Amino acid sequence: MNSFKPMKSCAVALATGLLLMTSGVFAQAAPATAGPNDAQIAHIVVTANQVDIDAGKLAESKGSKADVKAFGKMMVTDHTGVNKEATALVEKLKVKPEDNPTSESLKKGGEDNLKNLKALSDGAFDKAYIDHEVAYHQQVIDAMDKTLVPNAKNTELKALLVKVRPAFVAHLDHAKQLQASQGK
Amino acid sequence: MLRSAAGACALVIACGGGGIGEAAAATGTAHTVVIEAVKYEPETVTVKRGETVAWVNKDPFPHTVTAKGAFDSREIAAGKTWKFTPRKAGEYAYICTLHPTMFGRAYRMRTVT
Repeated sequence: MNSFKPMKSCAVALATGLLLMTSGVFAQAAPATAGPNDAQIAHIVVTANQVDIDAGKLAESKGSKADVKAFGKMMVTDHTGVNKEATALVEKLKVKPEDNPTSESLKKGGEDNLKNLKALSDGAFDKAYIDHEVAYHQQVIDAMDKTLVPNAKNTELKALLVKVRPAFVAHLDHAKQLQASQGK
Repeated sequence: MLRSAAGACALVIACGGGGIGEAAAATGTAHTVVIEAVKYEPETVTVKRGETVAWVNKDPFPHTVTAKGAFDSREIAAGKTWKFTPRKAGEYAYICTLHPTMFGRAYRMRTVT
């Protein structure tokens, strides 16, 4: 959450609240006694990607700046690609993704984010979307590093997580660039 | 810097349009650049004129290999390969137009006689 700048509007405050919920969501995946199993990790990965795909689709249609729309489109393309690979892997491994509280909360957080974004327009939409993308990708990266990768037992699942991590970092960097350019 | 380098490429490359070098050259693929984890490996590939370079996209999403004014792969889908055969000596700085943060590194194809 270090990347957050001070926020003033009610709408943004709501978005912040949602992000804090999202942050807590990932924390649930790593209780002191036991982390998620591979089936749960697979479900978390697919859900986390889908949440960002849905937000990206909205940004493609509702964003006001061309670079925000383009970023949304890239999120849809890249996260769809990651999900295709993740889905192919779990099918190969004959792992059935297992719903879990983290996935459920991610999904709920995504729905709340969409609801918040749909109420905004123009520059307010762009700012809220990009701010969320910065925080969301940071949280996903933290979750990968602290929870998902350390707990993944299957080597191919772990390798997939490690392989796609740089993409999330690239997205985070890109979102930060857009965040810095907001209002310029 | 990259942009200017890419612009300079246009001066030294004999480019017959988007189709140049896209088919495998008669000499076959001499060099391979792997696109994975949102980067190109190796960062610089040095080839002789007429040799073919293949960019293999191992990421689960598209990338491009674009040297403005010189060559452009357009989108290379996940798991696909794009090949290019330079005809003149020169240095080509290229980027992925889809992922601006890949600009942080200097990716080059250096062609020698």
